Amino acid sequence: MTRRTLSAVLLALAITVAGCGSTEKASSTGSSDVLRIPYLADMSVPDPDVFYDIEGDSVILNQYEGLLRYAPSSTRIVGSLAKSWTVSPDRLTYRFTLQPDVTFHSGAPLTSQAVKDAFQRRLDVNQAPSYMLAGVKSMSTPDDLTFVVKLKSPVNPFEAYMASSWGPKVIGPAAIKANAGKDFGQTWLRNHGDGTGPYKLTQFDRGRQYTLTRNDQYWSTKANFKTVLIKITPDIGTQRLELQNGGLDAIVKSFPASELASLPDSLVVQRKDANLRLLLYVNTNKAPFDDPAVRAGLRSTIDVEQLVEQAYAGTATKSVGAYPEALLAGQPDLPYAVDPAKAKAAGDKAKTKKITLAYTADESGVQRRVGELLQAKLKEAGFDVTLREVQLPDTYGYIKRLEQAPDLLLQTNTPDAAHPDTWARIVFYSTGGLNFFGFADKGVDTALDDALDAPEAEVNKLHLEAGQRVIDSDSIFFLGNVKDVFVLQKDLEGVESVPTYPWTISYAPLKRGGS
Amino acid sequence: MATLIGKRLVALFAVLCGLAVIVFVLQAVIPSDPARAMVGANASPEVVAAKAHELGYDKPLPERFADYLGRTVSGDLQSSLRTRNDVADDLRTFAPATLELALAASLLAGLIGVGLALALAAGGRAARVLRVVLVAGASVPGFLVGLLAILVFYSGLGLLPASGRVADTYVLPDGPTGLLLFDALVAGDPGVFFSALSHLVLPAFTLALVPALAIARTLATTLEQVMREDYVRTARAKGMRERAIILRHGLRNAAGPALTMGGLQFGLLLAGIVVVEQIFSWPGLGLYLNQSIAFSDFPAITGTTLMLGTAYVVVNFLVDVAQAAADPRIRTV
Repeated sequence: MTRRTLSAVLLALAITVAGCGSTEKASSTGSSDVLRIPYLADMSVPDPDVFYDIEGDSVILNQYEGLLRYAPSSTRIVGSLAKSWTVSPDRLTYRFTLQPDVTFHSGAPLTSQAVKDAFQRRLDVNQAPSYMLAGVKSMSTPDDLTFVVKLKSPVNPFEAYMASSWGPKVIGPAAIKANAGKDFGQTWLRNHGDGTGPYKLTQFDRGRQYTLTRNDQYWSTKANFKTVLIKITPDIGTQRLELQNGGLDAIVKSFPASELASLPDSLVVQRKDANLRLLLYVNTNKAPFDDPAVRAGLRSTIDVEQLVEQAYAGTATKSVGAYPEALLAGQPDLPYAVDPAKAKAAGDKAKTKKITLAYTADESGVQRRVGELLQAKLKEAGFDVTLREVQLPDTYGYIKRLEQAPDLLLQTNTPDAAHPDTWARIVFYSTGGLNFFGFADKGVDTALDDALDAPEAEVNKLHLEAGQRVIDSDSIFFLGNVKDVFVLQKDLEGVESVPTYPWTISYAPLKRGGS
Repeated sequence: MATLIGKRLVALFAVLCGLAVIVFVLQAVIPSDPARAMVGANASPEVVAAKAHELGYDKPLPERFADYLGRTVSGDLQSSLRTRNDVADDLRTFAPATLELALAASLLAGLIGVGLALALAAGGRAARVLRVVLVAGASVPGFLVGLLAILVFYSGLGLLPASGRVADTYVLPDGPTGLLLFDALVAGDPGVFFSALSHLVLPAFTLALVPALAIARTLATTLEQVMREDYVRTARAKGMRERAIILRHGLRNAAGPALTMGGLQFGLLLAGIVVVEQIFSWPGLGLYLNQSIAFSDFPAITGTTLMLGTAYVVVNFLVDVAQAAADPRIRTV
């Protein structure tokens, strides 16, 4: 390499570094115009009738609105696009009066026909969230601002479905019609949108970032930030460094609990109640936990207070009852008491000492930590425990191969809405999607079926009964109520969240101090 | 040369077939249920069964394999279960970022490797120290290098960005290649060009480091042997300067093993891409693959694996051809 070439290379490097410095300055945080939030992974699709994950909730909720929603920090259902609503005494007819003067991002007005079209699209698309409308018999639009839904039979969680983050959202009918194709506009909605929310999706660059731009024609209180950049940053360590260096404004998912104590002064932590629950599923289809006495011994090994304290560092509390507390009042304390002698006796009685404890992968590492703590306790009881990290879809396959499935599974779950049925039907019901090891109790199924259309006064009683049966079976252990943990720049104000919308914040009320 | 190319092409086809079989077997033995993952926890068993039927997961294994092979050969990689796009379209979206990173890392690995080899060949105490550094450096895992690089150059010095391909305020040029540096030049956008260049430095260096050290060790060893050959002694006797001897005679004759090592290291580089893209939020095939694995998105996993596998085999094929071009004796093998 000649001196001239070397000089040219050094010059190019210098220009690069200088260039990048200026570029980064131009894009640094602190501006009251741009909010930067990371996602650990791309969302599946920004189509509210297909989307049924958690990563991506904020894109849906800040862009689209349903008829109802939950009030911040509560499970109280309030109107959203519906200004008011009534339910007939037989609980079969819901009459919604729409907010006037609402427009879609495209500029078209919101009408009852648009709501009807959106509901019909959900049924036509027939993807995961469509179950919420499965009980609908007919829909009508007596006038432009009145939308009426008739049900085939009473569906107690119907209002909760309407308020769910995965509940029906109203998509601009003109946009769908213009881009319907052969799939009800699903192809178009993979990277476009047309809602009524405080932000519009203006760029969907998969793998890199999504851009939400403020809807200046929003019918309610307008958003403070002009632009929200959602950046795909899959490594939580990189997210943390970028947050500390001002490259991000907040981390709302998977921040390691153990690192909360060592945050710099420029960052603050907010811990919010959520309906997230850490569960320990027991495979009762094979030895050793097919034996109720061994399961009772397992109960004696679980030190919930230790798990919550050591693994979650103040970001979880001990569970009460089988349902998230906000969903069902009057639940009993759980009968989990550490008793090394009973645990050892169960270990001695177990037909096999070799067991597998699986936990679903999570970026914060907290479930692995819980797994390690449980492993140590089970070892004291005489079990030889192998820890195994698994992916969520793997756990869906267990039901088909129960003999090969792990003996224990740790997983954090959340209901679709703040209604006990939305929890029990997926976790306790014999065919429930999150009933990974096929727990089956006819009494539980009957109670849940009865509760679905029972008079309101009896609903809680039936759920308490179902919950007690699950607790008594020692087939699922309810370990902790996990909080939403948000780590934010100190000057970020107006954080609003809803316990039923996990790892999600509303972008519209956020603002920088003084802005 | 034509015979050699023909043989290598047959081998390439065989390797890809083997890869396709391995990918299928892996997805068949993993106890996952993508149909349930797609329709959600609230779907009834009937809905799950209908989705499994639609995706063909309820067919007997041999039938599924025949379907899969037929589709793969015809270039139909199916739709991603997660993004709902055709996997081929997704690969077209994510591949340019990986290609750009791999090209930059390969270039860097070559430059650093040759540079270090020349420094080693110069001998002396510095070379001995450097040799120890090379051995130690080769055993450092890529993710650690990446994290250290971010800590020093982003967090500590604030010189280089830690994530992404370009600053988030820029709108990317609309083609023509998807290679940002090239596209920015074509579009005449220096802002995007320099931003993309600065974002490329850390991931490319992280990815290049281990291959560079391997190339350096191999090249240095061969160079030392070559520099003891008679023709080098003759060149010295004729009064040629040492630098000219190394560059004109030494490097060319020592290049063969280094090229082979380069080809092998490219495979490791592709494996490293999955980790490096994760750490640096680089929107390429590695990031796509990682996200697909978490979702048991088998069509996407299969498509990405086949694409990366093809790249590996093709590069090794090109290395073979390059070696044959450099050394005529190989053409008869």
